[in-house]
Amino acid sequence: MRIQLNPEKCTGCQICEAFCSFKKERAVWPARSRISVLKWEKEGVFIPFVCQQCERAACYEVCPVGAIARNEETGAMEVDESRCLGCKMCVTACPFGGVAYDPDRGRAIKCDLCGGQPECVKMCPTGALSFEREEKNALARKRQGAERLAKYIDAIGR
Amino acid sequence: MRYQGYTGKYLEVDLTTGRIETRPVEDKLAETYLGANGFGTRLLWERVGPEVDPLSPENIIVFATGPLNGTLMPNSGRMEVITKSPLTGIYGDSNAGGFLGPELKFAGVDFVVFSGRAAAPVYLRIEDGRAELRDARHLWGKDTFETEELIQKELRDPGIKVACIGPAGENLVRYACIQATMSRSFGRVGGGAVMGSKNLKALAVRGFGPVRIADPEKFYEVATRSHFGIRGNDIYPAVSRYGTPGIVSIMNGIGRFPTKNFQLGGYDQADKINAEALREQYFVKDVACYGCPVACDKIYRVDEGPYAGTEVRSFEYETLGGYGASILNPRLDSIIKAGDLCDRLGLDVISVSRAISFAMELYDRGILKKEAFDGLNPVWGNIEDALELTRRIAYKQGIGALLSQGVRRAAAEIGHGADHYAMEVKGQEIASQDGRAQQSMGLAHVTSSRGADHLKGFPTIDETGYPTEARRRYGEQYLPDMADPRSTKFKGFLIKDGEDYAAVVDAVGTCKSGGNFVLAQLYWDDVAGAVRYATGMELDADGLKVIGERIVNLQRAYNALHGISRKDDRLPKRLLTEPNYQSTKEGSVCRLEEMLPEYYNLRGWDAENGLPTVARLRQLALDDVVERLGPKLKP
Ligand code: SF4
Ligand code: SF4
Repeated sequence: MRIQLNPEKCTGCQICEAFCSFKKERAVWPARSRISVLKWEKEGVFIPFVCQQCERAACYEVCPVGAIARNEETGAMEVDESRCLGCKMCVTACPFGGVAYDPDRGRAIKCDLCGGQPECVKMCPTGALSFEREEKNALARKRQGAERLAKYIDAIGR
Repeated sequence: MRYQGYTGKYLEVDLTTGRIETRPVEDKLAETYLGANGFGTRLLWERVGPEVDPLSPENIIVFATGPLNGTLMPNSGRMEVITKSPLTGIYGDSNAGGFLGPELKFAGVDFVVFSGRAAAPVYLRIEDGRAELRDARHLWGKDTFETEELIQKELRDPGIKVACIGPAGENLVRYACIQATMSRSFGRVGGGAVMGSKNLKALAVRGFGPVRIADPEKFYEVATRSHFGIRGNDIYPAVSRYGTPGIVSIMNGIGRFPTKNFQLGGYDQADKINAEALREQYFVKDVACYGCPVACDKIYRVDEGPYAGTEVRSFEYETLGGYGASILNPRLDSIIKAGDLCDRLGLDVISVSRAISFAMELYDRGILKKEAFDGLNPVWGNIEDALELTRRIAYKQGIGALLSQGVRRAAAEIGHGADHYAMEVKGQEIASQDGRAQQSMGLAHVTSSRGADHLKGFPTIDETGYPTEARRRYGEQYLPDMADPRSTKFKGFLIKDGEDYAAVVDAVGTCKSGGNFVLAQLYWDDVAGAVRYATGMELDADGLKVIGERIVNLQRAYNALHGISRKDDRLPKRLLTEPNYQSTKEGSVCRLEEMLPEYYNLRGWDAENGLPTVARLRQLALDDVVERLGPKLKP
């Protein structure tokens, strides 16, 4: 399972950030949210972004104490807080900025898929976030691509 | 501060000396006035007396959030600016959505008070509780969008939220707005001119901190219930799809779409400028304010024709009314252009468009002559010249200077009966909300503390008949009259309750459109729960109602200091005597006098002078008001 991001539907409301941070920090704290909405206000482009729980995860590879491991049930790469040194190697290594650092607790923080029930997906009002099986994901992507192609063919046809 | 939800700190900025102080927010202030407009009203009452000219250094301008701003509550992105209005000379506030309010909270500041006047243009930068005044000489003269972009570049952070003025504010146009990030504005009452008079170009805010919550479990419960309630509301799909332009067709259908400067109640070309036309031709994208599931904001873009390349956000019903029906202009692309122009120049769309329709009517009737317009031809429907007039108003060129003062002052200067065509109450222009087709709206304009206004009483449930919500809120006993737009019965009650609730909704920092009035999903109990669990205050719906009443009464008292009384609670004669004729239906007039007594009575205000009685003020713990207003009051 993976959180699928559909930026074209995102309105930039940041509800996902508010609820994610609340679930994890018990305060509304977008700066500590595991999911972030990147915004280009002028262009009107909003892109939600969150760890994609990579197959060969750089954070996992680079962690010197084995504090990051996959939760076999949910598929999430999780940080074991009791082991984490706060060395920030994972923060540096993730090519997508999927891991952040909490200076107060001196720990790496990242999305853990909320134990299989992602809060952000539950609260996102637009469908910009969805939680789906990989197979369905792949098919959905293909369908999206095909739709674009259909439009394109239609446009040339006319 | 012992309460959560607030940051517990505010900034006091003296622009004359350049001194910035961080001060604690007193528990007592939060308990009695809740936040935002509540705080601002109290500060004006204490610090800005009737002798103060709104455009002098002695006036203050307050940017204030409430305890729910930047929380989990749906659409908790709205904040207030409070100042003495240069348009009306009395209490003034204005509200904007977007992200500025939450950002201020994340930066650890509940509100900012500006006083004095800087020697040269400056802007205030706030980041995580630290604040500094920075040189803004290079920004002076720039439009609002340029200003925002330049500040973000200069501070190397595209996430900085900027509120700023454009040329109109710099030039002290009395209804200059404050643009709050690209898509939102503090539109009304002329806060932009107050900033201009203080040499304050902008406020730039960035914050990375938390908003803490007193009872996380219970608060989460209220917040999620509210979110899913809004998303499940019957009219959610329509409000979400069309935003406020969605009401063009509805209002036109009931004769409530002011046309030709309120000569008519409907526009025969309304279908050219309605939400469907807009969506079909120009829609680009839905945009939301902080925490809002509705996303009524949209980006619209014009790709062809003379206005190709124009893009607007937060393009509202009011722009379609003001630059469309009110001046008989059916060209949608040109109205989009007008919206963009007003945003950039920093003008309140409602007031400026009403000033233009006023000028067009005066020209039509021969009261203003061709020479007055310096080569422009202000005939009905001439949008090109209306756009040029908009520019001249912002720069106070020629007749623009006259119109930049608002229609009341302009009419007084012009004479020859011009005041008959000035559609204003207490000096503020009336929005495209016609009290003839919806009686309660006429009452709302008159009782509003900031002059003509639909958003203080915000009667929505009798607009087109909304009996489901009327029943849910008020029970069966007021139906069918309460939901009937042409009935005057129970409208005093509707407006009083609306004003108290709106005062609270503004004070906590949530949106009237997205959940409380237009989409009337939430009500006293929901807000009371949210405030109680967010802050930890012992507060229920009844306690909240008292705070709402207190805010409204203190605003009235503040206005009374400035000479306002029963005699000022009046509508333009046109709305009382000339029916809102339209092609299909019979018109009506506003029967204000049938509603006012009920309103005063419910408020506990004296029916003769229209002021709160001593007894009422004491019940609301406003004893210092009793002392200050003294002999003006009845027991
Ligand atoms: S799944 Fe949970 S932890 Fe991950 S981004 Fe969503 S809310 Fe945050
Ligand atoms: S909640 Fe959904 S729509 Fe809102 S910002 Fe997050 S991803 Fe975008």
